[in-house]
Amino acid sequence: MWSMAGVSEEDQLDREAATRVLRRIWRFLRPYRLQLRLALALIVVYTLATLGGPYLVKRGIDRGIKAGDAGALDAAVIAYLVVAALGFLANRFQVVLVGRVGEGFLRDLRVRVFDHLQRLSMPFYDREKAGVVVSRMTSDVDSLQELVQMGLLQFVSSALLIVLSVVVLAIVSWQLMLICLIPLPFVILASVKFQRDSNRAYLSVRDRIGMMLSSLQEGITGVRVIQAYTREDVEVGRFGRRNRTLYDAHMRSVRIQAWYLPVIELAGLGTTALVVGIGGWMVTRDIVTVGTIAFFVLSLSNLFEPVQQLSQLFNQVQSAGAGLNKLFGLLDTAVDIPERPGAVDLPPSGVVEVAAVSFAYGAGAPVLRDVDLAIEPGERLALVGPTGAGKSTLAKLIARLYDPTEGRITFGGVDLRDATLASLRQRITVVPQEGFLFNGTIRNNVRIARAGATDAEVDAAMEVIGVRERFLGLADGLDTEVRERGTRLSAGEKQLVSLARAALADPAVLVLDEATSSLDPGTEALVERALERLMEGRTVVVIAHRLATSERADRVGVVDEGRLVELGTHADLRDAGGRYAALYETWVRGLART
Amino acid sequence: MRSQTRGIAIGVLVGLVWTVGKVSVPKLVQLAIDHGIEVRDQGAITRWALIIGAAGVLSATFTGLRRYYAFREARWSEAVLRDRMFAHLQRLHFSFHDEAQTGQLMSRANTDLQQVQNFIVLIPLTISNGVTVLAVTVILVRTNWLLALLALGTLPLVNVFAKRFSTRLHPTMVAVQQESAELAGVVEETVSGVRVVKGFGAEPTQQARLAKEADDLYEAAMEATRIRARYWPALELLPNLGLVAVLAYGGHLVLDGRLQLGELVAFNAYVVLLIWPLRMLGMIVAQSQRAAASAQRVHEVLATEPVIVDPPRPVALPPGGGEVRFEQVRFGYGGGATVLDGFDLVVAPGESVALVGATGSGKSTVAKLIPRFYDVDGGRVCIDGVDVRQAPVRDVRRAVGLVFEETFLFSDSIANNIAFADPDASAQAIERAARLAGADEFIRQLPEGYAAEIGERGYSLSGGQRQRIAIARAILADPRILILDDATSAVDPTKEHEIRDALTEVMKGRTTIVIAHRPATIALADRVVLVDRGRVAATGTHDELLAASARYRSVLAAASLTSDAERTDAERASDAAGADVPGADVPGADVPGADVSVVD
Repeated sequence: MWSMAGVSEEDQLDREAATRVLRRIWRFLRPYRLQLRLALALIVVYTLATLGGPYLVKRGIDRGIKAGDAGALDAAVIAYLVVAALGFLANRFQVVLVGRVGEGFLRDLRVRVFDHLQRLSMPFYDREKAGVVVSRMTSDVDSLQELVQMGLLQFVSSALLIVLSVVVLAIVSWQLMLICLIPLPFVILASVKFQRDSNRAYLSVRDRIGMMLSSLQEGITGVRVIQAYTREDVEVGRFGRRNRTLYDAHMRSVRIQAWYLPVIELAGLGTTALVVGIGGWMVTRDIVTVGTIAFFVLSLSNLFEPVQQLSQLFNQVQSAGAGLNKLFGLLDTAVDIPERPGAVDLPPSGVVEVAAVSFAYGAGAPVLRDVDLAIEPGERLALVGPTGAGKSTLAKLIARLYDPTEGRITFGGVDLRDATLASLRQRITVVPQEGFLFNGTIRNNVRIARAGATDAEVDAAMEVIGVRERFLGLADGLDTEVRERGTRLSAGEKQLVSLARAALADPAVLVLDEATSSLDPGTEALVERALERLMEGRTVVVIAHRLATSERADRVGVVDEGRLVELGTHADLRDAGGRYAALYETWVRGLART
Repeated sequence: MRSQTRGIAIGVLVGLVWTVGKVSVPKLVQLAIDHGIEVRDQGAITRWALIIGAAGVLSATFTGLRRYYAFREARWSEAVLRDRMFAHLQRLHFSFHDEAQTGQLMSRANTDLQQVQNFIVLIPLTISNGVTVLAVTVILVRTNWLLALLALGTLPLVNVFAKRFSTRLHPTMVAVQQESAELAGVVEETVSGVRVVKGFGAEPTQQARLAKEADDLYEAAMEATRIRARYWPALELLPNLGLVAVLAYGGHLVLDGRLQLGELVAFNAYVVLLIWPLRMLGMIVAQSQRAAASAQRVHEVLATEPVIVDPPRPVALPPGGGEVRFEQVRFGYGGGATVLDGFDLVVAPGESVALVGATGSGKSTVAKLIPRFYDVDGGRVCIDGVDVRQAPVRDVRRAVGLVFEETFLFSDSIANNIAFADPDASAQAIERAARLAGADEFIRQLPEGYAAEIGERGYSLSGGQRQRIAIARAILADPRILILDDATSAVDPTKEHEIRDALTEVMKGRTTIVIAHRPATIALADRVVLVDRGRVAATGTHDELLAASARYRSVLAAASLTSDAERTDAERASDAAGADVPGADVPGADVPGADVSVVD
């Protein structure tokens, strides 16, 4: 009944941006243009029908009752019936059509934006905050949803109703029409002010709801600490104050409505008084008929109510425009790691060669400088070094999550930038430090690694690394749903799922970021064993956090300040007395202390 | 609390004045036509026009007031109820909160109260709307009952349809929100798990999932649209049928001289006037059903009695050194499986004890029973000789400082977080507590130091840093019994060493219970208690137990696998920088010493 929306000043579109957004919407609506035109036609029919009723009452009075012509009266009645039926049908189909077009548009927009998000690569996700990216697909699209559901239809039909009312009223009596226009400037001024004030009030209500909710959430999630320190009273007081500011914001918004509503009401009833007073005088002078007076009195609501609706919807439209502007901006973000035209598949196996590679994030300082490295098929290379030295960046470059700024990385002689993305992901797989789970069954979580894999293939992959057993004990076995980020599984079990994914992907090169956080004792050994089996026969690049891992590797690379400073076997480096030897020293000391 | 009856009464009164103004206008127009325009009496026309204008001013003024009072009372009730609910939740026991989901409680205090609010708004509005319908009906029936019947005959259907519309539409709107949330879920996890998605090239899988969610959402929204299409046009058509009937029958009545023209026009105007009040009367029926369900859910929370309350005749906790005594304690969460059974333990005043045990052995439960977060099922827990159930809850909680396994900090400044137990604590006291907890150093490195905001809109700290602040918070409370439940698990072991030194000072003169896995932390305690299957399995010094208890050795062996001993300093630093957090793998966090990263 009283829809609220708003848009902050910095998000408001200027004329140029608005035109751009509109043009873009029109292009987006291409598949729906026919339906849209039909819907517009129906809205016109519906609006004319709305105006037709009072007009036919006027005809009935003037041509029938006043003229004493029962036939003319009946004709007006039948016409009214027809017009009402037409209006009903037009209304019914326009709601469906507008819904279909609007919801279809939103669906397409969601899918398009998400597809684009999926094409964007790691540098984009590094730059943008996750919350902002998610909000594009949620709050920005949702601001459109409400508009599509009811607002758009109202917006168009209200505007149309005002215009057509003025036209029809002017045709019937231009003099009375002019009288009706007297309050219009006041109504428009009040509406503009209302639109601005209510926008501001809405934003403040929205902010304070957010504040109240976060305060509430903190009070609930932190209740144990609050009770432990007997701070209940203080927290209740604090919440009460927050809650009170929300009430105040609500009341500001109510007060704005409370002065605006009377303006509209007064415009309608005041004009009625003018029409009766001046119109009545005109009837006595035979300038207009009494039917015309009736027509005007009955039509006035069509003139002022839509103004009120428009002023409310204006905020909604603006906020939707701002949302769309951001979405289109996202769609225009260039893809950083595109597939080259004529890209080739990577060979099944080969040497990973890093040649004179330098890398910097964006315009930042270089993170890697002049790195040269060749990893033989089946070799296990451990990367060690202090945090920020660049070892995980190097690992990411090998998996082409980023492209080097200079130099090149090849697999089996093919530059990764010339490879098809599909073959790249198939040959080279990254296992992140933490097992990240998606909503769905355990099986489907493993299947992420290869979309078409059958249940048997998934099971086999889990069997190969010896983790299948672990999950069979769960209520629904491998079909157990993991919810809320897999809170039902331990960190170790999540890691097992992650390793099973890699096993299913069956890559030639495995890039591992060894977990630093501690696992539950029960799973630790299982993870170790699964990892060992997974690495068998593959080229492995592991970012090592444990001594045991670098000891077991064929070669160890020490990365420091963006350079590969040492490269050799564990034994050689340990005895060489360089960086690695020093690192080894700390490790051993650390072990001894506890 | 302000009396609401008065506010609602004003709202109803204001609404009735509005009704008078609103209902009088068509009647006045009728009089103007019949006694002014039709008889060509210019004086009468002017007079009636002025009266219409006056009625307009009245109606307009009161339409604003009606809205203002209705909403003021509704918003006020909402605010008052929410305050009550929050206060009640703060008083409810741990076991209630263990069962309840945060999201559910949030929706009680938000969505459900909103529904109740919507209903309260409608009370004064409905009364004046009801009176309006009644008044118009009386006027029309008195003018011509048959015409009134024809004019208003279809209108009850408006009421029925409006109710049905509202009832049917609501679940589809809920479904739309549900689908919308599911779609958001896919987006959210795809963005957080972007490294997994990219790593395995799972983009097409996620695209397919999203497309499915988008289709589901489309279907749900179209279902809502179809319901709108079914009811809305009908709601608009029904009054038109009344108007057609008025013109058809009423027109002939005028032709036959049995009705005046002004009366016919007034009939028309009245039918139009009734449309909104009738629609709203229909909606309120549907709304009241939803509000009743919501009110029920709100009531459920408010009707839950707090379990952990002061005894009728509380015994003040005597001053003491903090002796803790468990006598034959039996306990299970929520009446479920028994966690502790026959648990006996005496911790002497000033003694420090390490509780060691495998996961699920019950050692954390022991810690939670001391400050009476739960009541025992059997036996008793005493502090300085008084059963914790006999003393005022406040005394017990003040006597015990517990640092939880999972750190919870508030979105507030660091200083306020540390001074949680005593908001009036001096800056020196806060800094001292931070120093003892090994937190002073990193706090000073923040640009705003102790005034730095943490949480949602402030700095995000690493797990170890958060734990150190939580320890400082407990130190500042200066309890006679300090309990550290695995409170240094995320602290970088090199730092833990410093904290250990400081803790030795804190532990002086107070009873301390430490739950830990790391041998170095265990070594802090005078005595080690091995908890196994809800009982004390063995007790002695670390070395004694190592020598005597096989179970102790196996528990420690399992734990040492999880220890950080074999990690490099560099990796600990990376841990501390929160590199494990999805999305924290940004270039900035890769810099050495980037112990703190700013999040939005």
